[in-house]
Amino acid sequence: MSGKTLNLKAKVRPPPRIRSDAPRMVRQVFHRFTEEEVIPRAQAIDESRAFPRELFKMLGDMNAFGVRYPRNKGGAGGSTTIFCIICEELARGLVSLAAEYAMQCLMGTNFLFHYGNAEQHERYFLPAMKGEKVTAFCMTEPDNSSDLTGCKTSAKRDGEDWVINGVKTFVTNGPVADLFTVLVQTRPGSRGKGLNFCLVPREAPGLSVSRAFATLGTWSTEMSELALSDVVIPAQNMLLPPGTGMRALLSIVAEIRTMTAALGLGLARAAYEASVRYARERYQFGRLIKDYQLIQAHMANMATNIYASELMVRDCCARIDRGESPLNLSSMTKYFVCETACNAADRATRVLGGYSYSMDYPVQRYYRDSRFLLYGGGTHEILQSTIGRTLLR
Amino acid sequence: MRIFVLVKQVPDSTEIKIDPRTGNLLRQGVAAIMNPEDRHALQAAVELAAQVGESSVTVLTMGPPQAIDVLTEALACGADKAVLLTDELFAGADTWSTSGVLARAIQHLGGAHLVLAGRQAIDGDTAQIGPQVAEALGMEQATYVQEIEYLDGELEVERRMGEHLERLCLPLPALVTVVAELNVPGHPRLDLLLLACQDRAPIEILNAADLGFKAQEVGLAGSLTEVVETFSPKSARETEFLEGSPAEMAAALLGRLKAAKLLHKGGLE
Ligand SMILES: Cc1cc2nc3c(=O)[nH]c(=O)nc-3n(C[C@H](O)[C@H](O)[C@H](O)COP(=O)(O)OP(=O)(O)OC[C@H]3O[C@@H](n4cnc5c(N)ncnc54)[C@H](O)[C@@H]3O)c2cc1C
Ligand SMILES: Cc1cc2nc3c(=O)[nH]c(=O)nc-3n(C[C@H](O)[C@H](O)[C@H](O)COP(=O)(O)OP(=O)(O)OC[C@H]3O[C@@H](n4cnc5c(N)ncnc54)[C@H](O)[C@@H]3O)c2cc1C
Repeated sequence: MSGKTLNLKAKVRPPPRIRSDAPRMVRQVFHRFTEEEVIPRAQAIDESRAFPRELFKMLGDMNAFGVRYPRNKGGAGGSTTIFCIICEELARGLVSLAAEYAMQCLMGTNFLFHYGNAEQHERYFLPAMKGEKVTAFCMTEPDNSSDLTGCKTSAKRDGEDWVINGVKTFVTNGPVADLFTVLVQTRPGSRGKGLNFCLVPREAPGLSVSRAFATLGTWSTEMSELALSDVVIPAQNMLLPPGTGMRALLSIVAEIRTMTAALGLGLARAAYEASVRYARERYQFGRLIKDYQLIQAHMANMATNIYASELMVRDCCARIDRGESPLNLSSMTKYFVCETACNAADRATRVLGGYSYSMDYPVQRYYRDSRFLLYGGGTHEILQSTIGRTLLR
Repeated sequence: MRIFVLVKQVPDSTEIKIDPRTGNLLRQGVAAIMNPEDRHALQAAVELAAQVGESSVTVLTMGPPQAIDVLTEALACGADKAVLLTDELFAGADTWSTSGVLARAIQHLGGAHLVLAGRQAIDGDTAQIGPQVAEALGMEQATYVQEIEYLDGELEVERRMGEHLERLCLPLPALVTVVAELNVPGHPRLDLLLLACQDRAPIEILNAADLGFKAQEVGLAGSLTEVVETFSPKSARETEFLEGSPAEMAAALLGRLKAAKLLHKGGLE
């Protein structure tokens, strides 16, 4: 090439190391997905009160459910940071979808992935990653919810099989799920020491799923009760070594709380953005309402808490990605961020005035959906108790 | 079949800001995206490659280092390889210079059976790059294409020409610029996206010298045109808000319409 010898300025140099920043790219891609695919359908999906199969399949086609799992096992090779960015972006559009997404990525498939055998991976895990099979996670019982060690759903050995009896409730995705990961007690009376997780396929004889509950928010997240009556499962469906259920659950608690916070952060942003847009276009008394200080106070409060929330979520994600298990910090994060989301949704209903009360605008949905964040991953009373107890130990 | 796709990073806004001093586009502070029509070109390339078999899709962009992002996205949408042409010497290139560099890069990389590009970039807006690259490579070309079919080594394309459509047969090698009606682009795959952000991603980075250019042949120096002035047209529209009771506002509106000579003897002119 003559260029390099004849001209001093055009130089052959070793190519610079240039690569895109993964978190930024993921945010960009899922921001656009939410803008193009989720937001335009959000109200119709919500009002249909039905599981959004089309969007769920799209997320499968993007291999988005595989975010936490390695690429060579059908996953996408991401991290908690990447996972939470996606949760946040989807929640900005529709909390229901984000919750179903998170269920499929984390609680619905975690134990199947880590403890399932090759045949179970082939049969359930890979189709779940493609969005072709829906998964659910069943711990809560009518009488035992915050206190999981009180789990009464029993598993009794019967030769090579296990026989399961009990009732589970508040099962997210229950009415549409193909596979349930169920918390069971294998040694009655032993509380935490006999807990285990087992796989129950929907077609298992003796399993009955109630119809979907009527709920306050997240209308398109279908939720139901599950009755297990002499359900027989083979030995390989009992996933964990005996009595290690509590420890296994503990291994993902920080992640569940951080993920729930990420959903809250997305919802808080949606409420904030709707408020900003409205304040910039609504005139009263001849001025835009953004010029009124009490409206500005709402914005300042929302934006400040959202900023703090963002840093908390980011820090917990980074810690989990470094291999830490930030139990107390993730409790603080879930507590603070989800309270921020409820508060931001509340403030948005004030900024938008009467229009926030109309079912034609999304702010009513933000308000209803914000309550979803208060229970899963630990109620805020439970979280405050554990944070306080840990600090004063 | 060796397929190249030309992709351009553009500001995500139709409100482009221009540096009043230099007349150049101000890119800082504006989110950057892949030119929308280029997503359609890429989708067509990936589909064609799958249909034809034994094919490769290489995406090519000339731009600043941060233009890597459109290549990352393209790899996540199924491209096999990406090439970034970046060099401070490329700065200030007009369309002639840009297409010269793109054409040289395609030759440098072994040549193409098919080059796909967007019809027009939403910022530069000239729609000149595709045709100029085709000329530089001595290829057949078809622009404004909304349908592509591959049959026995030939392309049959449908061009959208305003009110009428045109169907053409193109022997390969050829360059085709596409419009949004062509297809519905898929979303990027997360696993490929994350892979494309890693060091081992199949991304090649080339500068002017790598392509055998001298400094004066590229960028502003190698451009045939000179931008004399670039400006945002001043909008003459003014909005006025009328206040008072409905009756007062109606009366005020009538007054304004009469003053503007839009009303006479109670009727609209
Ligand atoms: C939308 C939604 C989705 C859900 N999805 C699932 C799911 O997919 N799978 C699943 O297993 N479960 C699910 N749940 C159940 C959820 O995990 C429980 O609601 C949660 O554990 C709290 O239980 P509870 O509602 O029965 O409240 P309870 O535990 O009965 O608590 C009632 C009240 O007492 C307070 N309280 C209880 N114990 C203490 C204590 N020690 N100290 C201080 N205060 C206390 C609580 O904070 C609360 O205010 C879901 C719930 C909802 C609302
Ligand atoms: C007279 C003139 C002077 C200019 N001077 C300057 C200047 O001083 N400084 C400056 O920054 N810019 C300048 N530009 C803009 C710059 O040259 C153009 O943005 C660039 O050449 C592409 O033209 P376009 O945006 O009109 O693309 P179009 O021709 O509208 O794009 C059509 C398609 O071509 C492909 N394509 C376009 N550009 C690229 C690219 N860079 N890499 C890969 N594929 C591509 C894409 O597929 C795109 O969809 C000038 C443009 C003109 C017309």
